[in-house]
Amino acid sequence: MMFSKKKITTAYTVEKCTKCGMLRKRKFAEGDVLFTESSKCTSCDGMTNIEKIFGETIEQ
Amino acid sequence: MLSLVNFTNFDFDQLFAMSDDTNPIMMLIWIIPIILFVFYGQRIQLYITSSEIKKGIKKLYGFKVESRKELIDYITKTLKPKDDPTKKIDRFLDYFTILPVDMDPNGIVDKVRHTVRSREDYTREHVKSLFPEISDFELTKIQTILEIASSLQMIYKIVNHMFLTAKKQNNYPLILPLQMILPFVMEQAEAMKEAIPAFKAGQPVGDGIGSMVVGKMMLECEKETIAFQTVLAKTEFETRKLFLLKAEGPSSTVGRPADALETIVSINKLDAIIMVDAALKMEGEDSASIAQGFGAAIGGIGVERFQIEAIATKNNIPVFSIVVKQSVKESITLMTKEIANQADDVRSQVYEMIQESTKQGQSVVIIGVGNTAGVPQ
Repeated sequence: MMFSKKKITTAYTVEKCTKCGMLRKRKFAEGDVLFTESSKCTSCDGMTNIEKIFGETIEQ
Repeated sequence: MLSLVNFTNFDFDQLFAMSDDTNPIMMLIWIIPIILFVFYGQRIQLYITSSEIKKGIKKLYGFKVESRKELIDYITKTLKPKDDPTKKIDRFLDYFTILPVDMDPNGIVDKVRHTVRSREDYTREHVKSLFPEISDFELTKIQTILEIASSLQMIYKIVNHMFLTAKKQNNYPLILPLQMILPFVMEQAEAMKEAIPAFKAGQPVGDGIGSMVVGKMMLECEKETIAFQTVLAKTEFETRKLFLLKAEGPSSTVGRPADALETIVSINKLDAIIMVDAALKMEGEDSASIAQGFGAAIGGIGVERFQIEAIATKNNIPVFSIVVKQSVKESITLMTKEIANQADDVRSQVYEMIQESTKQGQSVVIIGVGNTAGVPQ
């Protein structure tokens, strides 16, 4: 236990452009809900939908 | 270094002090511990085991206090009640459920269903009456966090009771079962404590993978409420009629899929039931691995599974399942990347299963089982 590392989980949101299909991963923001419209695509003028919300754990 | 110690030249008489000229003090040094261990061995073991268990109980106490604090803070922050809600919350946390007598098991499932649903309904109505302006979405979140805090309080109470009873009686065998189950209890309790932030933030948990898969299949379809907190969408796939069923997201609920299935069966002739759920992985199994099988894949106390099995048997409908394996912790905490990445694969397996298990023109129900927190449709 003395040497066990602290685990930190960070939530991420993956957005998918409905037009060009580009995926973008960013940190989860309050109000993010799966399958809902999120933001404008950075590579085309399409809108992105939230495809996934998940957590990644890192040891410190 | 080895040359300094000669291992071949031990004098055993001297070592064990068995010769005639043995020092009586040396004899006592050997004999006293033996007598001590013969008469007080169990008590010594009790003290050693106690210190380990005490550490666990201290941790459980911490979980209990933290979960209560998190619940009160969340209510104060989001609902902004006029009065201090602490007293009322504490009353909820102490609620217990007495399950029906099982000496005569006939009809026990109905009794268990009645007891469990009465508790859920009572809690829901009382939280609603305490905070009349609360939305249904927030209500389900608070109900879930309340359940977690209440369970952590109950776990602490039971473990502490078992420990204190063994200590009071100075009874080592009494503490053994507690020592054996404590690591499993701690695993569950830690998972529950870590689940709170995900439910507070409205994020999907590992158990929601079934809802996530079916929820995406429902996106373009028209939805209707078919049972309490349960939605149905009808669609077609390669001339098969699909009935898509899941708990109503993004609220934190598992819905009532069995009631919904009963309604669908009463109106339609079904040819297959496909259930998609999260399942507990065995030690050594990979997390987020997918498995297919037969039978109703649904957890909980067993009431829903019993009802689904009864409907399937009565109407001679085969039940197929697709599960995503995960640990207890993964199932109730924020969905891991590995589990989320399996959603598309599971969905394609569902479509394959529909093709394999039904013929053209037939009807099939696909149930996305699990807590649908953060997963709309």
